[in-house]
Amino acid sequence: MRISRAIASVVVTMMIAALVVAGARPAAAADTIDPDADFKAFRAYFTKLFPNVPLNDFVNGPYSMDAELRKQWEAIDDFPPYDFAIDRGKQMFATAFKNGKTYGDCFPEKGIGIRQNYPYFDDKTGEVITLELELNRCREANGEEPYSYVKDEMASLTAYMAFTSRGKPFDIKIPNDPRALAAYQKGAEYFYARRGQLNFSCASCHVQNPGNHIRTEVLAPALGIVAAMPIYRSEWSGMGTMSRRLVTCNSQVRGVPLKPQDELYRDVEYYLSYMSNGLPVSGPGTRP
Amino acid sequence: MRAWICLAATLFCAGAAQAASTEADFKTALAAAEAAEQDAGALKNQWIPTEQALAAAKKAAAAGDFDAAVAQAKEAEALAKASIAQAKEEQSAWRAGVIR
Amino acid sequence: MRGERGTAHGTALFVAAVVAVVLFAGAHASAQTPALPGQVLAFDRGKGNCLTCHDIKGGEAPGNLGPPLADIKTRFPDRKELRGIVFDETKRNPQTVMPPFGRNLILTDGEIEAIVDFLYTR
Repeated sequence: MRISRAIASVVVTMMIAALVVAGARPAAAADTIDPDADFKAFRAYFTKLFPNVPLNDFVNGPYSMDAELRKQWEAIDDFPPYDFAIDRGKQMFATAFKNGKTYGDCFPEKGIGIRQNYPYFDDKTGEVITLELELNRCREANGEEPYSYVKDEMASLTAYMAFTSRGKPFDIKIPNDPRALAAYQKGAEYFYARRGQLNFSCASCHVQNPGNHIRTEVLAPALGIVAAMPIYRSEWSGMGTMSRRLVTCNSQVRGVPLKPQDELYRDVEYYLSYMSNGLPVSGPGTRP
Repeated sequence: MRAWICLAATLFCAGAAQAASTEADFKTALAAAEAAEQDAGALKNQWIPTEQALAAAKKAAAAGDFDAAVAQAKEAEALAKASIAQAKEEQSAWRAGVIR
Repeated sequence: MRGERGTAHGTALFVAAVVAVVLFAGAHASAQTPALPGQVLAFDRGKGNCLTCHDIKGGEAPGNLGPPLADIKTRFPDRKELRGIVFDETKRNPQTVMPPFGRNLILTDGEIEAIVDFLYTR
């Protein structure tokens, strides 16, 4: 019995191998996913474009691009408009769920000083996990209703968690797992693909035109663009999360937004966060 | 004078009769538009103006203006198809913009 | 039916009225030139929205993603070329950030013509 099963498994393996060889084609450059090479090219592009911007300053987005805008920003920094969000987030962290558990129970290090590790690839489920997703899953696992991803409580929670990581360098890992590499690549594709009736890609503004302005709005460079999340944005008169920004960017180019935390949104956050590796967490932030 | 008025009225009515769309015309046009928009949705690349045209088509139909409803539905279908063309092109075109 | 003399009198009054309106409109126009339909479309955020990226005389707070739109007559002696850019600039430059106003049905052909007319006055 055991021998015939062994032979069967050998035969099956050989059949699969034959199929793989038959289907294999010479690897084109487009097929190799090399995050490290992408990272180096991405970094070089922006530092060459802006030789006078200190590397860590890229996390300040438009303020690193425009001196006048920077002065306005520094003027309000004594009383940052996101302070209330940090306080709320801290209070939420200290408040137990109905079942007695807390947010800290869902995270390593009790959720303190870990924001720079997000997003990460979960090899058990084969998906990219963002901080926002992890927070709502924590709530649901503990019998609580999930929050809206775009503002209010979610912004307060992520503001507090970002604040506890202020200054820590981003440390995003892409394991040598084809699923993680595929998710990273899908994120890159999302970032560079044109969308919406207006035909813009994320790169149209944040790679091709950082430092330029649309009407009076100065465009941020893609390097470090996720580091300040969540943000208090004057245009919103309030806080907004990574989810909010992705949704509004879509609708600004007249594309129907995906659902917050859609797989593609998580993939593009994964891509952009990896590109920011080494840069300091600067959230929560303010923006015009 | 009266003869000219009668002739003009006849021509106008004839012309108008040819342009008038029916509810059946609208349903056909809407089905085509919604099918295209569903395909765009599968590609995760729907456009806001498409959704707006679909809504306008339904609103016009509800008000009994099937000419406008058909026109809006056809516009929605054209927009949906353009969004599909964009998604398909970008499946390869995205690489051209990548920083190297 | 009115008599011939009555009709002639009515027609003369009508013509006089039309002439008066035209003269008045003309006088008013020279004091305050109304915007060309193309300018209204060009500056409308929901239509051309050109100021988002281009500096155009008559507009305020322009963006700078695209070149200033000036000396258009000199730079685009061929109207077809300028129309083509508005319709779909990706044909000339696949990496352009300019929306394809015609191809993506953002503007109608008539609207594009009106905007091109307006650009030729800049």
